[in-house]
Amino acid sequence: MPENTTAPTRAMRLGVAGPVGTGKSSLIATLCRALSGELRLGVITNDIYTDEDARYLKSAGVLDPERIRPVETGACPHTAIRDDVTANLLAAEDLEADFGSLDLVIIESGGDNLTATFSPALVDAQLFVLDVAGGGDVVRKGGPGIARADLLVINKTDLGPYVGVDVERMAREGREARRGGSVVALSRHDEESIRMLTGWVRDTLARYRAGDHTPVDPGPMAPHSHADRDGKGGHTHTHADSATHTHDQAPAHAGPSA
Amino acid sequence: MSTTSSLLLALLGDARLPSGGHTQSAGLEPALRAGTPSAQAPAYLRARLRTVTRVEAGAAVVARAVAADDGDLAEVEAAWAARTPSQALRANGRRLGRGYLRVLQTLWPGPVDTRARTWSRPVVLGLLAHRAGMGPADLARLVGYDDVQTVTAALLKLEPQDPLLIAAWVKDLLPDIDEMATQVAHLHTTEQIPAQGAPLIERWAETHDTTTERLFSA
Ligand SMILES: Nc1nc2c(ncn2[C@@H]2O[C@H](COP(=O)(O)OP(=O)(O)O)[C@@H](O)[C@H]2O)c(=O)[nH]1
Ligand SMILES: [Mg+2]
Repeated sequence: MPENTTAPTRAMRLGVAGPVGTGKSSLIATLCRALSGELRLGVITNDIYTDEDARYLKSAGVLDPERIRPVETGACPHTAIRDDVTANLLAAEDLEADFGSLDLVIIESGGDNLTATFSPALVDAQLFVLDVAGGGDVVRKGGPGIARADLLVINKTDLGPYVGVDVERMAREGREARRGGSVVALSRHDEESIRMLTGWVRDTLARYRAGDHTPVDPGPMAPHSHADRDGKGGHTHTHADSATHTHDQAPAHAGPSA
Repeated sequence: MSTTSSLLLALLGDARLPSGGHTQSAGLEPALRAGTPSAQAPAYLRARLRTVTRVEAGAAVVARAVAADDGDLAEVEAAWAARTPSQALRANGRRLGRGYLRVLQTLWPGPVDTRARTWSRPVVLGLLAHRAGMGPADLARLVGYDDVQTVTAALLKLEPQDPLLIAAWVKDLLPDIDEMATQVAHLHTTEQIPAQGAPLIERWAETHDTTTERLFSA
């Protein structure tokens, strides 16, 4: 772990998490396309059953295929980014050793579910990807990634009209679920949204390099808070099923700080 | 403060130890792909305990003795490599070594040879056992037990079945692990490291190394 008071010497590691099919690999391809001219990049994919993601990214021609490495997870994608990050750490070290120093290593999680997030033992920052096709209410279901990843991406906004999702509202509810944390509504067909994404990556990298960025652990579970009536001093706890929900009234059980 | 060798064995043999073990099938994935029936997993494991796993355990025990005498572990590494003809298995063993080196440096911090990053699992484990205060027989048991658990845990992913039945297989193999450990626990010098090979396992490892759509690294 880098001390956040001293400038780090290695590449920033950026995790990309989120359910299968939300567009993680595509987003990484977009980042490579936009940033490979200015940053020295490496990519690690965590595949559940195949090395499909690595092959897709290699075939997309957005980065030297040698800089894209698949890691086997033994059918435990969750473990590989949280409970035992060894294989990913070694792959990141190898990428940097093989290409001299890199600026950014992007690690795609094997899309697991809403609760899978990266441990700060592996990444310095992470983004969590949802898509509008998953439905507008997914952000309200919450989860550690949605609530506390460094950035929430609501992807495929171009599909909003076709799936009956109000993108603006979904993004607003995302911000609410994150208590104002960053949200980017993204579509690979929308250049402006891509600039927002790359801008966030550049800013985060600059803060990381300056030693101003503190890695945050979104946590394996989704704490939720029972706010007091005045909206302050609620308490946070977790449920075994990782569900997040809203309580309209004060909770029946008293929390430590309620 | 020191603890007992048996508790160290429990700690290091626990699948929850974050050393990268979940990426491994100890050759089971390519063995199944090559047509080995899953019911033969116990026989597969006995074959490993008499060959590749015995070499691994012997190398670990010798590395521990060499580390205790302040000798040169690079010689043990070379002896292990000479007994591990598959390039894929050597590369995998060295990746695993780096995983255990992280464990060593975090749990038992202290000066480590700069070449340690290139050493294989048995050599790093031998160094770790010396540093942690684990006896040679327990070290050999650890290598054998880890191999058995790696294969059986991978089997549950590759051909899912009743996990308790698989646990019963592991229990039945415990005497075989003890026997193997007894055979290597007294070894001290690099020449004494056993040199049994398992050509099929080595060939499967080579095939697996270039296979796509795999669950496990090796
Ligand atoms: N319409 C649309 N489709 C997208 C976008 N981004 C990704 N997709 C598609 O979503 C599907 C899943 O994308 P992929 O990147 O493989 O998702 P992953 O499983 O999260 O890595 C693919 O068919 C992509 O072409 C987008 O911005 N708009
Ligand atoms: Mg993908």
